[in-house]
Parts: sequence; structure tokens; C-alpha cells
Amino acid sequence: MSIVKTIFLTEIMKGLSLTLRKLFAKPVTIQYPEEKKPLAPGFRGRHALVRDPKTGKDRCVGCYRCAQVCPAKCILIETERDPETKARVVKRYEIDALRCIFCGYCEEVCPVNAIVLTEFYEYSGYSREELYFDKERLLQNWDEFIVTQKRPYFNPFWKPRGIPERKLPAGKRQAEGI
Amino acid sequence: MPQAVEIIQKQKNSDQWDEPYLVNMGPQHPATHGVLRLFLELDGETIVRCDPRIGYLHRGVEKLSENLTYSQAMVLTDRLDYIASAANNVGYCLAVEKLMGLEVPRRAQIIRVIVCEMARIASHLLWLATHALDIGAMTVFLYCFRDREWLLDIFEEICGARLTVSYPRIGGVRLDFNQKIIDELYRFTEEFPRRIPEYETLIDVNRIWLKRTKGVGVISGEEAVNLGLTGPSLRGSGVRYDLRRTRPYLIYDELDFEVAVEYEGDVYSRYRVRMKEMREANKIIRQCLDKLAECEGEPVIAEEAPDLLIPFSKPKRPQPAPHPKKGFLVKSVEVPIVPEGEVYFAIEAPKGELGYYIVSDGSGHPWRVRIRAPSFVHISALPALSEGQMVADIIAVIGSVDIVLGECDR
Repeated sequence: MSIVKTIFLTEIMKGLSLTLRKLFAKPVTIQYPEEKKPLAPGFRGRHALVRDPKTGKDRCVGCYRCAQVCPAKCILIETERDPETKARVVKRYEIDALRCIFCGYCEEVCPVNAIVLTEFYEYSGYSREELYFDKERLLQNWDEFIVTQKRPYFNPFWKPRGIPERKLPAGKRQAEGI
Repeated sequence: MPQAVEIIQKQKNSDQWDEPYLVNMGPQHPATHGVLRLFLELDGETIVRCDPRIGYLHRGVEKLSENLTYSQAMVLTDRLDYIASAANNVGYCLAVEKLMGLEVPRRAQIIRVIVCEMARIASHLLWLATHALDIGAMTVFLYCFRDREWLLDIFEEICGARLTVSYPRIGGVRLDFNQKIIDELYRFTEEFPRRIPEYETLIDVNRIWLKRTKGVGVISGEEAVNLGLTGPSLRGSGVRYDLRRTRPYLIYDELDFEVAVEYEGDVYSRYRVRMKEMREANKIIRQCLDKLAECEGEPVIAEEAPDLLIPFSKPKRPQPAPHPKKGFLVKSVEVPIVPEGEVYFAIEAPKGELGYYIVSDGSGHPWRVRIRAPSFVHISALPALSEGQMVADIIAVIGSVDIVLGECDR
């Protein structure tokens, strides 16, 4: 370092001039609670069971694929046979959101696109019970979420881009927006 | 080593301080980048001995993976080096694919290179930010986080998560890129080379920075090899060892990039290596984006790739008796899902050589997973790097080897 540079602190002046220039630049800070960043489609947030607009009920068929693929084992399903129609009825569908690691495997394997991780992240609770979603609560999560969305809503995991159609189950191949 | 309490008691009672002075640094110390505990033996202000204690973040990832299927165990690798989770995922998937003998489609390979290099830039940016903050430059911290935020936004667009991406899957990737992501990445690669000089203006020739980093934590190339250092920490000592060049995987052998090497072996040269690597990573992303346009519309998952829902144990298939005359006995035979055997595969993660050693017994879950984490090896080199230094320099040394305790303790 030469004498002139040492005396006049040139490198520090350069650094300070950069910060001075940034003082007048457009700020990148987002004032969070007041203003929010738009989320990308397919953000893996709060869980919901999709309410089918035709039937008004959930789409789950009780195939247990999501419960099996879940690495955190946070999905609990119980099914029973309807004594009259002999059809399989989902009695319990519960997700422990505190155990979930948000990998999105459940929505990817679901053959009928019944479960979805919604683009909603501001949920917290005072107790563990509040974050233990049963079937009613999961459907309610969907209702709360879908009113904030542009229709038709389509989650990227319902029909993953770039995956050949023959590798997808029929329900995913014919997936449509809601 | 005698108990710290005993020594402190002794020091209190005696008039003379003949015992070395003991300082416990961490585990809750902001400059240890996590929960690293250092037991320092001081002579005045010089470090005589440095004894790292680890294990505060042990979650048993290796043991947990033995009870999960191959695709389920992949999400655990996110939590190793949580700053560059995409690189961990890719390394794990490549190891399993080598075991299964899967050929990944070209488009998926290019995408994997892109996310690996994005993870490298994100990791190096966070490293620069925190390292500069430790040494005393706060502005760099804010500028680095501004740019890292941009990368995390792109990750969010790609796969829906910002930090624990879980983006690749065995045999390919989970989702293809869309045009929006490609445009955003083009804008990033256009803009990012202009951002690096900003950090360099602030610290590269700054006299405080130079005094804190030059000649601190010096390690020769030979010693670095003996200690098992890899990645930028090794290349800062003048050893040209980069797995992307010495043992190319994915499409790295087709790409044009330079291996960044510096020769002094001190904190400053490790910093220079990482700055060069960010520029090279940016170049790699740019080349890959051009290559991505050539294979538009191709699938991103191999034809023989296993389903996401792999059965945990070997399924039993009925097999007819070998000799039909001996009756109609039907034997059930276990069919292996993943071939039996063992495999080691290492990639050049941002921190260094990240290797996965997997032993398979033919079922859907690994029999044993061993992770060669670069941070673990780098922490074991801390005593050699810091002994004889001043106590304030240990912060610069810890920062310069770039450790993440999630990966070290696993």
C-alpha cells in the first residue's frame, strides 16, 4: 500500500461512497406485516383437503398412499366400509402439522389430488391441539385458502411438469383447476 | 484433560497462575455458526490448545435413514447442510442411482447442475455475510442477504420451498423448470457478476479486513491434504482438487469453468477462492441455461425410476416350482427392489467433498448410510489451524473453514 493511499484512506472512501450511493437506491426491505411478498405457485404451506365443488365434500378415497409415503409419519387415516353400499368411507383423516416437514410427498403421490399444501404460511397457535388438523379443520383450511386465490386454482404438484403422463395415475393425468 | 471446574478451583486458590488459562467458547456463541463448543487453553492471549467439542445438534440422520425408504430418507439430507440443501439432495440421489444403475435423462442432469450451483452461490453468500460480520463488516452482511434472498425466491418458484428444497428425486427431479424460472435465472446471471464487485469494494482491499485475514490460520497444502480438508479450504492452500474436474459427475465434464486456486493458505486466500467460485458458478448456470434450451420438452425423470412410494421391505412374489412334475407347489420368493451391494459417491458440495456410503440389503430401505460430511473433517482441522494464533483470530479461522453444525453432528 503506497503512502498516498495510506494517508488518504482511499479504499475506505471507496467503500463509503458505495454505501452512500445505496442510500439513495430503492430499498429492498419489505415491511412485513403491512406488506407481503407474493408467494410462488406451489409453495408448500398449510395443509388442506380439497373440497370438491361438485359434491361439496373432500375427494379422499382412503388409499393410504400419503400416510405410507410420509417421512415424518404425521398423517393418520382410518377407513371403514359403508354397510349399505360397501364403499370405503374415510372416517378419520388427521394431520399433525407440528410433525410435518413439508416435503410435499403427500400431494405428489395422491392419485386423486385430495390433499394439498396451500400457499398459506401465517398460522400459529397457542397449543398443540390447534395445530392438529382433523378432517373438518382441513376442509376449513381449504375454504379459507381458496377465497384468496384467483380461479381456477391449479397446484403444480397436481400434475408435475416434465413427468411423462404414463408415469402418473389417471386422476393426476386428468387434473383440472378448481 | 482434567475437569474444567477443578482447574478453575485450583486457579482461584493459588497465588500463581501456573496453569494455562482455560476459556470455554460456545456452544451458544454467535461466531461459532451454530452449536460448536471450543475448549481453549490460553497462554496470555495466545492459543496453546484448541479442543473442539461437537454433538449438540445430533439428530441421528444416519440411523433414521435405516428406518425409512430410499425416497423418504432423501428429505433428511436437506437437514444436513441446510444452507445448500439442493447439493445434499443431488449427492444422495446420485449415490442411490449408482447403486441401482439408473441413467438420469439429460434435462434432469442439467437442472441438477443448475440447482447445485445455485446452492453453491447461496452458501458462499451466506458464508461471506457471516464471516464478514464476525470480523466486523456489517454492510457486506446486508448486501449478501439481499442477493441470497433473490436466489431463495427462485428456489421457491422451482419447487415451493426456500430452504429445505427436497427438489431432486431418485431418477430425476420432481418438477421441470418453466419459462418464468428460466427468465428469472437469466436475469440473475446477468446481474450477479455486477454485485460481486460491490462486496469486493467494501472488503477486498480494506486495511482492517487485510489485517484480520492475511497470515492468519495458515496451513500448507501438504498438511491440508493430510488433515483431509476438501473444497475451498483445500484449494486455498494451492491444491488443485475439485471433484467436478477430477471425477466429473452429471454434465460437469462438458462445461467450461476454472477451478479456483490460491496459494497462501491463509484466511484471505480461502476468501479469494470462494469469491472466484461464485463467479465460476454463475458462469456454469449460464452455460447450463443455454444447454437447457436444446432439450426442451424432454422428460425429467428416468423411465425405470422407482415410484416415490417404494415398499419398505422386499415384496414376496409367487414363483412356480422349478420342476413341474414334482407337483404344483408355489414358492414365494423375495424380489429385491434395489440391488444388493454397497456404493460410495461423493460430490463437490459448497463446503467440500460430500460423500454418501450406502449399503443395501435388497429391500426398499438402506441397511446403512454413512455420510462423509466436509464440516466434520474441517472441525477436526481447527486445532491445527488455530494453535499459536491470537484468541481473536479463532473467529476468523472458524469462519474461513466454513462449517455448518447440522452437517457435522448429523
